[in-house]
Amino acid sequence: MTVTAGIGYALLALGPSLSLFVSVISKKPFLILTLLSSTLVWLISLIILSGIWRAFLPLKSTTWWPFAILIFSSVAFQEGLRLLFWKVYKRLEDILDAFADRVSKPRLYLTDKMQIALAGGLGHGVAHAVFFCVSLLTPAFGPATYFVDRCSQIPFFLVSAIIALAFVTIHTFSMVIAFNGYAEGNKVDQLFVPSVHLAAGMMTLINFASGGCIIGIPLLFLMAILTLMHCGRMVWRSLTENQRQGMGNSCSLCGKTALTSFFNIQSCIYFVQFNGH
Amino acid sequence: MESSILESIGQEIIGVMSPVSLCMLLVVLLVYSLSPSNPFSSSSPAPIRTAANLVYLENPSDTAAQKLEGALLNALVFVILIAIVTFVLVLLYYYNFTNFLKNYMRFSAFFVLGTMGGSIFLSIIQHFSIPIDSVTCFLLLFNFTVVGVLSVFSGGMPIVLRQGYMVLLGIIVATWFTKLPEWTTWALLVALALYDLVAVLAPGGPLKLLVELASSRDEELPALVYEARPTVSRNEGNQRSSLGLLVGGVSDSGSVELQAVSNGNARRDGSENGSSSEYAAIQVRSSENVEGERSPLVGHLRERYSSDSNSSEYSTVVCNRESEIVVDEEMSPLVDLLGMDDEREQPRRDGTGDSVIASRGIKLGLGDFVFYSVLVGRAAMYDLMTVYACYLAIISGLGCTLILLSVCRRALPALPISITLGVIFYFLTRLLMEPFVVGTATNLMMF
Repeated sequence: MTVTAGIGYALLALGPSLSLFVSVISKKPFLILTLLSSTLVWLISLIILSGIWRAFLPLKSTTWWPFAILIFSSVAFQEGLRLLFWKVYKRLEDILDAFADRVSKPRLYLTDKMQIALAGGLGHGVAHAVFFCVSLLTPAFGPATYFVDRCSQIPFFLVSAIIALAFVTIHTFSMVIAFNGYAEGNKVDQLFVPSVHLAAGMMTLINFASGGCIIGIPLLFLMAILTLMHCGRMVWRSLTENQRQGMGNSCSLCGKTALTSFFNIQSCIYFVQFNGH
Repeated sequence: MESSILESIGQEIIGVMSPVSLCMLLVVLLVYSLSPSNPFSSSSPAPIRTAANLVYLENPSDTAAQKLEGALLNALVFVILIAIVTFVLVLLYYYNFTNFLKNYMRFSAFFVLGTMGGSIFLSIIQHFSIPIDSVTCFLLLFNFTVVGVLSVFSGGMPIVLRQGYMVLLGIIVATWFTKLPEWTTWALLVALALYDLVAVLAPGGPLKLLVELASSRDEELPALVYEARPTVSRNEGNQRSSLGLLVGGVSDSGSVELQAVSNGNARRDGSENGSSSEYAAIQVRSSENVEGERSPLVGHLRERYSSDSNSSEYSTVVCNRESEIVVDEEMSPLVDLLGMDDEREQPRRDGTGDSVIASRGIKLGLGDFVFYSVLVGRAAMYDLMTVYACYLAIISGLGCTLILLSVCRRALPALPISITLGVIFYFLTRLLMEPFVVGTATNLMMF
């Protein structure tokens, strides 16, 4: 296991985000800025959380309930932060619209708003993958690998990369769902996001049991696919509604979403095969 | 579907952020790939001796108090040195010692690229055991250096090459600086951020004097500055948008000026298109800029400048300057000031440590490149996690500075916000976040 393996793990976790970045985000400078700022927001939230929990660390690795509290509090905090993010975004949207009026360009399209949400979500997801997976990868570039006792079938780096991929997907697309839900005042969507996030966090608790990762990871990917499908349906619905209202938008985002879900599903299949070996 | 405003907003910011990111990335890669075997320090177990650690040589066995005291002293001495050299620079510039400065700078740029760059190449060659004979290596290095000197200090070079060499200079100096001992590095960074703040903003600060002097003479800032101008490809392939940018920038001050500018342009390069429309005039001018053509016209223009700039033309000159900067600045002594050797160059670099906005694109001093990268490179010696945190902090600090720049419309120091955020995030990450993240992630708990 050398440099190749390290790069491979990093790409497993971040490959879909990379393709999303190249195909959607990188062409529009504003989206890059959104992505960076949302990554920063996530980093700050992580620092605050670790500041709160610092006093209780290290947690004993024999009891599971402190971890449950930790995950619950973290998810609650981050969902609160998402609300804040939405408020800021709302204000930003007004500013952007005013700016567009001034330079006599069209106001933000629905697809533009969704792309901003996507960039924000991708920022959260990338931050998750970077801090929970990629930053621990340094030893993977060396000659050895590392196994955790509780999941002794797969190297730790591979497991964390796979889990990170699921979380990247969940974070990215739940932001789109949440923003749309807030904008339309749709209670189901608004509740869907925190519950998926919480459920996904709790599912990592299954890894605590010896050999639990065999069950936990597929369940986690189920959540990811659920998020993806919900997002796709929702985007499709609002776009067709929008079209019926005569806005006549091209469906570039849903095309991209479909593309990404394809990537993700492909990677899932790949992982399953990989795991099988 | 019409292009939405998402595509135009923030272009300038990204234009500055991407080279900074590139510079940091490469420094981190260099530090990462070279540090395990430590090719630099293996030859001399004692760390390098520069102006940055004149007073105190850090020793791992010293106590924290000793280290702190020594590091603070080092930083103080270094900042005083920088301040003195910057004042000397301002004096030289004030009395128009341009030829001397120019040639001295040429020599020092050659020196930096040749020796510091060369030693880094050598250690790369050693580390990856690249088979190359010394003659070829010397020849390549020599060519590389000569092209670098030419591209930084004179016209006739594509802007991409120039920007590339700017980033390279930043990388070389930053890699060199990451070899300073840890405590000294941190003290130095903080001290430089403070110095930058004072030098640019305080009345009588050397950099402020320099900026004012340069703008009162209608010359470029006398320092090595990265310009986020539209690159050649964009200008050629997308003439319309850069034109729009230009016109937009100019028309901020009213259409009268726009008219004046184009008149000025048309008259100034009369030989080329005396009678063409104003837009065409601007276009020609900007494409000429891109090629950085060094026509005799330039010298001529310059003379015109001084003689022409009576009050009625003043706005013209100012606006015009933006479009002619490219041609002119290569001739200005200031630009040559950059790229000195070690300690000496520091001040000038630092002199460049502020970003100036022109209506075409943003300029960022090379000193900012260097010290951002030093911070990230230092973080890379600890862990990848601190690298990401510092990168995000620095980039967001840079974003804040740029936003402030568009509000204030004057030269601002780019180091203070970014360095402060970077240092804070480094220690927060190291002390708080790392145990938390490692503790949860190794138990496979994530959220």
